[in-house]
Amino acid sequence: MAALDSRGKVLEVRALPLQHFLLRIRVAGMEPAAPGQFVMVAGANQVEPYLRRAFSVYDQEPAGTGALTISLLGKVIGRGTAALAACLPGQDVPVLGPLGRGFHSMGANGPRGGRAAVVAGGIGSAGLGLLAQALAREGRPFDFYYGGRSADDLVEAEEFQRLSERSGGRLLRTTEDGTAGARGLVTEALAATLEAGAAQAGSAYEALYTCGPHGLMAAVARIAVEHGIEGEAAMETPMGCGYGACLGCAVELEEGGYALCCRQGPVFNLREVAW
Amino acid sequence: MTTDAGAPVTDLSTRVGPLRLQNPILTASGTFGYGLEFAERADLRRLGGLVTKGLSLEPLAGNPPVRIAETRGGMLNSIGLQNIGVERFLNDVLPGLTGLPPKVIVNLFGYDQDDYVRLAERVDPHPGVAAVELNVSCPNVSKGGIEFGHDPEILCGLVRRVRSATGKPVIVKLSPNVTSPAALGQAASAGGADILSAVNTFVGMAIDTNTRRPVLSTVRGGLSGPAIKPLALRIVWDVAREVDLPVIGIGGVETVDDVLEFLLAGASAVQVGTALFRDPRTAERLVDGLRDRLQAEGVASVGSLVGAAARPR
Repeated sequence: MAALDSRGKVLEVRALPLQHFLLRIRVAGMEPAAPGQFVMVAGANQVEPYLRRAFSVYDQEPAGTGALTISLLGKVIGRGTAALAACLPGQDVPVLGPLGRGFHSMGANGPRGGRAAVVAGGIGSAGLGLLAQALAREGRPFDFYYGGRSADDLVEAEEFQRLSERSGGRLLRTTEDGTAGARGLVTEALAATLEAGAAQAGSAYEALYTCGPHGLMAAVARIAVEHGIEGEAAMETPMGCGYGACLGCAVELEEGGYALCCRQGPVFNLREVAW
Repeated sequence: MTTDAGAPVTDLSTRVGPLRLQNPILTASGTFGYGLEFAERADLRRLGGLVTKGLSLEPLAGNPPVRIAETRGGMLNSIGLQNIGVERFLNDVLPGLTGLPPKVIVNLFGYDQDDYVRLAERVDPHPGVAAVELNVSCPNVSKGGIEFGHDPEILCGLVRRVRSATGKPVIVKLSPNVTSPAALGQAASAGGADILSAVNTFVGMAIDTNTRRPVLSTVRGGLSGPAIKPLALRIVWDVAREVDLPVIGIGGVETVDDVLEFLLAGASAVQVGTALFRDPRTAERLVDGLRDRLQAEGVASVGSLVGAAARPR
């Protein structure tokens, strides 16, 4: 389905701890996003910063006659995110989307029934919101591994706890400073669960889904190979346009060559990517 | 032709040398894919023309990431000329573009003169191709890696050979990274070019202050976007004064005023590039905006504006 450039109206900008923010935008004429899909959005029609920013659709709900309200979860790290966080309710913002290919295994051919691990690093959780909803809705149990430097990095943790528990799984938090959950890296917690499972009945999980810093996703990919588990990662690269024109968002592939994050991704099989 | 209200509609059609365009708004190479990518997001039919992503004899995978870096008022790119190759373009893409109102201009690049000649020969029999545009900002491997567009003698020789390889209009896209782009334009003219397009991206770089390393994997990249518009405009002005060929202006075009500035400086048409990344409908928005503006000001034709800023009052 063609993603068209739509006019969005900011409904709410919610400031969250540590420069995180949640932006709710009502977008006329936008198709619902599949889990893992994204939009290109700009703070306003200003020249600075010049390019739009790619944001995962974190949450969405119908908003009457062909309109959709989308929620974007972000963190201020530069000029683009600062401009978005500074939006005011009522402001018009351009929204292009939904774009890219989401989690493939959520389709009809995906693995069914098996327990999944969803692994988020910090604000990478934004790319896993719709996935967690879909898993809970389909009754596929999943554990949500949520890692950050500190407790305040784990935004929307209650929501992921609610969704994972509804699916029959649970939320496992890790922080590097020990201010929430277990102290350490989230990938260490994942590996520990898998090793404990392997010592007993077999693999604890049939699928791994991840979004977060590159190093975290690379570690999840290694764990997936080690334990023979399928999995996918929602990648993030600098993007110029978001729809395949600038060819700027190359992701290096294991088999050689490159894929465009915006068109062939942003969700890739963990084994496809040259980490 | 009249509108519903009966007011005369400004005719935006324009001639650029041998090319007749329905309007002076084209899309720049490397910013519009091969055209069809945009069919679902923009109304292709309304463009004056589109210039394809640069094509080589064989497909190219492009450069490793990181390939782009945003800068103030623009961006750097180092895509590495990733493309599907001329054969796949001619077989799979061109048929879908043929017969549409916009003129299809095929951008070509090679690593020696023979590459360009073979490319020009390959596209020559296709009626769907209105013209070829030569990207001469490539290293010439048989001449020690100097860019074709940086040496008047090399450029003249290249254009002469391409000229004899095709009956299509030949556009030479000038590099801004030389002391005198106009001198290179004269060399292209001497070689038999029909049209000049000016300018390609400006070489620049960016450094990530967190990692303390260059942002782009290739260190250097091409700067585009509104940041380069005054620089490009100056070059178009010079080239239009000093070379007796029609010019297509390129560099940071995003608003109707930008289009007018390039026309007034001496360009017969413009190419829109980086602005498409921000808004895929920029080109059609400019077609509408230009028509409204000329109509409001009672300007009868695009041609009457070309170079007007240089004419005595």
